Amino acid sequence: MTENPVRESRLLRGVHRTVTGLHPALESLVAAIVGLLIGALLMYIWGFDPWKAYWALLRGAYGGSYEWASSLARGTPLILTALTFAICVRAGMFNIGAEGQTMIGAMAAVCVALFAAPTGLHLVIGLVFAAVAGALWSVVPAVLRVTRGVSEVISTIMFNWIGRWLALYLAIYVIVDPMRAEKTLTVPVTARFPILVRGTDLSASIFVAVGVALLVYFLLWHTTMGYEVRAAGLNPTAARYGGIRNKRTMIISFLLGGAAAGLAGATMAMGLPPSYAIFGGGGLPELTNLGFDGMAVAMVGRNHPIGILMAAVFFGGLNAGGRVMQFYGSNPVPLEMIRVVMGAIVLALAIPELIRLFPAIKRQGERLFAVLRRRRETRSKEGEA
Amino acid sequence: MNENAGPGARQNADGYFLRAEGITKIYSDGTVALKEATLEIHPREIIGLLGENGAGKTTLTKILSGLLPPSHGRVVSPRGPVRFANPREALDFGIGMVHQHFALVGTFTATENVALSHEKPFSRIRLAKTRERLEALMEESGLRVPLDVPVEKLAVGEQQRVEILKVLSRDVQLLILDEPTSVLTPLEVDELFALLRKLKEKGTSVILITHKLKEVQSITDRIIVLRHGEMVGDVRTAEATAERLAQLMVGKTLDGAPTAVELSAEQLPRVLSATRKKGSSGEGILHVIDLVARGNTGELAVNGVTFDVHGGEIFGIAGVEGNGQSELVECLTGLRVPVAGTATIRGKNILGKDPRQIYRLGVAHVPEDRWRLGLVLPFTLAENAILGVHRWKEFQGPFGILRRGKVNQHVRELMNRFDIQATGPNAPAKSLSGGNQQKLIVGRELAKDPAIVVASQPTRGLDIGAARYIRDLLIEMRDNGRAILLVSADLDEVLALADRLAIMYEGQFMTLCRPDSLNREQIGMLMGGVACKEVA
Ligand SMILES: Nc1ncnc2c1ncn2[C@@H]1O[C@H](COP(=O)(O)OP(=O)(O)OP(=O)(O)O)[C@@H](O)[C@H]1O
Ligand SMILES: [Mg+2]
Repeated sequence: MTENPVRESRLLRGVHRTVTGLHPALESLVAAIVGLLIGALLMYIWGFDPWKAYWALLRGAYGGSYEWASSLARGTPLILTALTFAICVRAGMFNIGAEGQTMIGAMAAVCVALFAAPTGLHLVIGLVFAAVAGALWSVVPAVLRVTRGVSEVISTIMFNWIGRWLALYLAIYVIVDPMRAEKTLTVPVTARFPILVRGTDLSASIFVAVGVALLVYFLLWHTTMGYEVRAAGLNPTAARYGGIRNKRTMIISFLLGGAAAGLAGATMAMGLPPSYAIFGGGGLPELTNLGFDGMAVAMVGRNHPIGILMAAVFFGGLNAGGRVMQFYGSNPVPLEMIRVVMGAIVLALAIPELIRLFPAIKRQGERLFAVLRRRRETRSKEGEA
Repeated sequence: MNENAGPGARQNADGYFLRAEGITKIYSDGTVALKEATLEIHPREIIGLLGENGAGKTTLTKILSGLLPPSHGRVVSPRGPVRFANPREALDFGIGMVHQHFALVGTFTATENVALSHEKPFSRIRLAKTRERLEALMEESGLRVPLDVPVEKLAVGEQQRVEILKVLSRDVQLLILDEPTSVLTPLEVDELFALLRKLKEKGTSVILITHKLKEVQSITDRIIVLRHGEMVGDVRTAEATAERLAQLMVGKTLDGAPTAVELSAEQLPRVLSATRKKGSSGEGILHVIDLVARGNTGELAVNGVTFDVHGGEIFGIAGVEGNGQSELVECLTGLRVPVAGTATIRGKNILGKDPRQIYRLGVAHVPEDRWRLGLVLPFTLAENAILGVHRWKEFQGPFGILRRGKVNQHVRELMNRFDIQATGPNAPAKSLSGGNQQKLIVGRELAKDPAIVVASQPTRGLDIGAARYIRDLLIEMRDNGRAILLVSADLDEVLALADRLAIMYEGQFMTLCRPDSLNREQIGMLMGGVACKEVA
């Protein structure tokens, strides 16, 4: 031991400690740089010029007011779906259901096309529809969890599929545009979010997203209810001892998260020019993956509303700039390669959070393993007897 | 006051096993937990580590066992400086530590838990080997535990034995025990000490942290005293008087003649009862009739218990841990639903109610497991200080806002009143020393101004001064007509405080009497389940 034989494990531990000990923002920054480096390496190996490609990415993401607006527009729904995940993590659960809740929320928002109302009020009605629909879509998994102990991971994934096909059905058969079968009814002008920067997708829906993020921050850290939710998430046994009704906090956080995801759907249906409609024909392309990307945004933002706002700007930029990469220069990067690079960046960003989660996951696995083995042994013993 | 050069220097200068040189520990929030601590550990000695809550005892031992790196200073062995990156490296070197809070996996058996500290823990060979080793060890050390039962089903004393076996299975040269006795009954303490003596004869050194002077004096060879992170004393046990130690710890003489409860357990009941007003039996507050409850594994943990607690009395429940006390308390505080029986507080049924409703009936509960139940560790001190009272009117603003200002004010009052040492209301509860965490919980509960306090091991891990303060406070509350249900494995404490005493064994009360009507042998027999009719 005088020589210290286990040097490399110490190095690893040191690196781990430094990475996780850094200030959260710094940590995400380091991860982003690592991700970009890996992406650069991949592009280099396949014979593309990483400098040019990243320059294109940067220009495409934040090169001017037009680019900024596009990036923010793409980040807007991600803020909301990230909140869905983050609220439930704070309450001690993994809610994977933002994907389905967003789709259902978008369909509910499209329903405003079925009736007329004054400008402004029409918009608000649409938002309420979407939020309520999203929340309702999370009720069943929440109730199953609370009453029967059904894992919310499984049930929300199932509900994602149910939600997706239900939304498709609605888009193709029920609220379909009679003139153009590939898309839904168009949201009327009275219920549209005004466009903030002419010629871009950036609409006033970003205010809704930022507002909800601030509201969630306030709810979780400055109200009694938020205190209860966080306590129950961190130590359910102590929370029960402290008179907190855990079932209630679970349901509340699920409903809040569902409402946020529903609103994400509304921002797409009511704030996305030029169509202001959802394309059922293409299999809901605008809505697909919003929920899953939101989980990545939440992890990078460390499940904190303010962190999520920053992470959403970054992810929006990646999305917007990624499109530019494929048109840039003499040897542009193909779309597939861009996806690979994005994947590398997202993975690198998620790794610090995964490192933190890893011991818990490992412990769970070990426990399961031991219990199973013991069962098997007792059973074989019983068999012998 | 610095006596570092004392006995260490007198012994053979090169004969040490390990030496800590100028160890300083500064935590990331700037807390200086240790200042230039220097000590030498020799083979074949038992060292007592004394100090008030937050003095740095746990920090020092964590550094020695590789769990924390020191900020400055180094650890040296006769062969040169050593650095441990993690506890496993320290174990390989021969240093093992049993922590204040156990680190066992509840669903694992003892064998599996021990195997975990080895490479490839779950291979069949490893498990078989571990089992063999454990059986030999149990034979040798006399520490008996069931090897094939998940440890969560074991009593706390047994779990501790698993922890010790885990460390011993690695052939350690230095065994560090952080407050091992606070959860043990006197009999278990005797067993533990017998083992320590045996280990010492075989050449192992032991560092023992405890707040009980009686224990330190009975078993250690040398006593090291820490105060606010500084080593203020290193004295031979034979030369140390209780007064001297107490003085070293606090830096001044403790006032008042009857010093710590631990010093004079035999005459203590008399000392205290002289100062207490006669336990006036007020109105009955808690009535329990024929309570039956199942434990976590479905066994009958509480098997027909009947008693009542009046205002103005302290009702003590003693017994070896794991005889149904925890389950009984959980039934009374809304954490467990009993199978049969009735329990009322001031005539209102409490069985099956949730902890919120029970709190509203005027019940405060100091839980026995401060990490699982009492605290939300990642929360701040302030957030923990309002757990359970967070819905108090004075904390509520408009729109359900939690009024931070009022909360912090309440917390500062608690910190002053109960001498909770921390950097401030926003310090994470994790960063508090074990004793200060306990003070936080006790303070929070007693500040509820309850009609009845259900206190499990309320002074566990508290230093002498703090423990005395809490005991005095319990007596004061009793004198003000409150009812107190005191459950403790610390027999001295129960005997000193209780007006009436029940001894619990296998889910039943062996006896229910006045504490002074029994002598210690009789109590010991009752706790072991041997009924002696004449005393009942
Ligand atoms: N992780 C941490 N971060 C910041 N400060 C800490 C941390 N752990 C301990 N401290 C501080 O260091 C000091 C010494 O703590 P330590 O746990 O060593 O005390 P102790 O002597 O074991 O006390 P006790 O008898 O109460 O267990 C205390 O002031 C404590 O608040
Ligand atoms: Mg300690």
